[in-house]
Amino acid sequence: MAASPEFLVTVPTRGDGREPGRQDRGDWRPDARRPLPSFVTDPRAGASRPSDHLAQVGRAAEIATVGGALVPFDPEGEEALVVAAGLLRQSRHLRVVAGFHPGVATPVYAAKFSASLQRFAEGRLGWQLDVDLDPAVARSQGDFLTGADRYARAEEFLTVAKGVWHEEGYTHEGRFYQVLAGGFQSPNSGLPFPRVHLGGTAPEALALSARHADVHLFTAGEDVAAGVAALSERAAAEGREVAYGLRVPVLAREDEDEAWAGVRGLWALAGAPGDPPGPDPRTGLWPGFATIGGSTPLGLVGSYETVAAGIRGYLDQGVTTFVLEARPAVEETYRLGERLLPLFAKEIERVH
Amino acid sequence: MSIDIYWRIGTHGDQPSLRRRVTSRGEWAPVVPGSLAPGVRDGRRDGYSYVEHMADVARASESSGFVGGLLPSFPFTDDPWATAAALARETTTYRFMIAYQPGFLHPVQAARMSATLQRATGGRVVYNIISGGGGPAQLWWGDRVDHDDRYARTSEFLDVLKGVWGGGPFDYEGRFYRVEGAGLPEPLARQPFPEIYFSGSSKAAIEAAGRHADYYLSWLEPFPDLAAKFDQVRAHSTAIGRAPRFAVRIDVLARDTEEAAWDEVRRGWEHVDPSALTGPDGDSVGWLRSQSFVSWPVRHHRELEVSPNVWGGFHLLRGGPAFGLVGSYQQVAERLDELIGIGVDAFILAGVPHLEEAYRVGEEVLPLLKGRAHGRASGTAGPGRESSVSM
Repeated sequence: MAASPEFLVTVPTRGDGREPGRQDRGDWRPDARRPLPSFVTDPRAGASRPSDHLAQVGRAAEIATVGGALVPFDPEGEEALVVAAGLLRQSRHLRVVAGFHPGVATPVYAAKFSASLQRFAEGRLGWQLDVDLDPAVARSQGDFLTGADRYARAEEFLTVAKGVWHEEGYTHEGRFYQVLAGGFQSPNSGLPFPRVHLGGTAPEALALSARHADVHLFTAGEDVAAGVAALSERAAAEGREVAYGLRVPVLAREDEDEAWAGVRGLWALAGAPGDPPGPDPRTGLWPGFATIGGSTPLGLVGSYETVAAGIRGYLDQGVTTFVLEARPAVEETYRLGERLLPLFAKEIERVH
Repeated sequence: MSIDIYWRIGTHGDQPSLRRRVTSRGEWAPVVPGSLAPGVRDGRRDGYSYVEHMADVARASESSGFVGGLLPSFPFTDDPWATAAALARETTTYRFMIAYQPGFLHPVQAARMSATLQRATGGRVVYNIISGGGGPAQLWWGDRVDHDDRYARTSEFLDVLKGVWGGGPFDYEGRFYRVEGAGLPEPLARQPFPEIYFSGSSKAAIEAAGRHADYYLSWLEPFPDLAAKFDQVRAHSTAIGRAPRFAVRIDVLARDTEEAAWDEVRRGWEHVDPSALTGPDGDSVGWLRSQSFVSWPVRHHRELEVSPNVWGGFHLLRGGPAFGLVGSYQQVAERLDELIGIGVDAFILAGVPHLEEAYRVGEEVLPLLKGRAHGRASGTAGPGRESSVSM
């Protein structure tokens, strides 16, 4: 019996738009915005803020009954913790997962910032800790650690963050961090620690997740079955259980024809040569999302039923959290809430 | 140049008056009937948290004439970045003065958070950079850098922050920070750089302020001492070709009449136990200074009035610095004018309770200000520029 799925949408932090690369929403590429003809009244000048679109995406997820939103860490995009704070403030139900890497702050400060958000939003904040950064990106963020040291630092980061969170008078003397008589006091104590999302398939990544992840996120295309088996075993050895998630771009429509017509249209708009490839016959995943603006190449395309079946395949492997990515974010979030999520109503109802 | 007048948003709850140290706003005391944000409804917490009250203070002070609000940061408070990010879209002109210590955040991350906040607010982020009250709290935060080194780190932090701000690629190799090919993405890099209010009374602080401060921020002190401190900063800045402006953080207890104001202090004083004073600790030079202006022990509350309307006992009635102004609306306005006269360019005012006093001070005191031309300038004042008050 498959477990109950949870759905999150991915917040576009590098602008958003109707077409790949257009990014005219969210004030990312203002030049890409098509002006109205001069004879048409246009009162918009100066009236909008860059955060308006991010707020609109958050509201769409809230209204569309999506469980949460992931704001990914993206050095080329908006800062995720600040975006998350705004989304949490303007929602009542949405769980918001903010992506960052362990070099952005001391663990005490990351925890302190997060304690405020937990207080403001009744415990709806999550963390996604990116450990395996591209080395050049890491150096541009001021982080020169490499290899297994990054996981050792992440481990200590989470240990200290949880330590000051849960324990008054907490003291720690480690390789990367030191705290003396730390620990939060009321009302910053006793709050739920942000749900920790980690990822990766390297042995160090699995070891870190075994000790610290609440949710281990795979990316579509990774060997989920092997990852789940290996991590479940490691987690059990730590006396823990880890939930599994999948980040996956989707393009879901009324029927197959409409979905593939959508793919062809976006393929052409992106200026990609020839016809788009078909889905991988073995996995059912379509490999062209990176070309049409996705953050990762492999994803699900098809009718709502087809996409739901793809998701059920992962549910059967133990994945319960689905971080969907679809552009443009507002319209596609409404679509997912109205058309895709109801196909899981039975699984969701059974649990709640 | 106009005068910027800020209010303060308390980030650790609030009490309904200075008469008793009872926190009924926020979760810093048990939530009981009479508590607000969260409140009690039908015998249960109503689901609100203190951020709702902070939003009320922000909106009240925005509408009553303040350019923005200081968000303080201590181990027991809510976090200023989180608060500013939460309240960004609930105000329109209000500037968020975020107090923070460099070193807790990486400067590239601070730049990214600031730029995203600038985009969310339309450029309303202001920095209050603190390099540390120090003492035991510094290791509570997990920071092992010692007092004077913290100012060196602050300088490096700001070098890196400014270095990546305009885009990139930016390389840096210092004692505390190293980046390679750093820079904000272009849409973030288009933002105005936040104004910097720089605090600290030590020699190391004043030297660092000379390099980086747009405003040198001090707690209120007796006016001649304040003027002397400004002179020191000015001398140091002039030597390196900079000209910082000056700001003072002041608690205000203003009433219609002087009697009514002091009566309010008296009511609070009845609940103070002077023997409970523990004396100064930590390595904050500012706090040690503030305690040196008073000859302890003190019996009567007026003994803490070191000059007309300048009272050094606020810390006994609520958490925070010692000195503030007590008097009629007119007297408080005159003292503020005097401060403008000795070179103050910006104020951070505060009063307890922050919500009600924001309306009171904004509506009753600020309109009485006359500006620099009317302040009884002391010998240390700069050229007698006419000032208008920016509301």
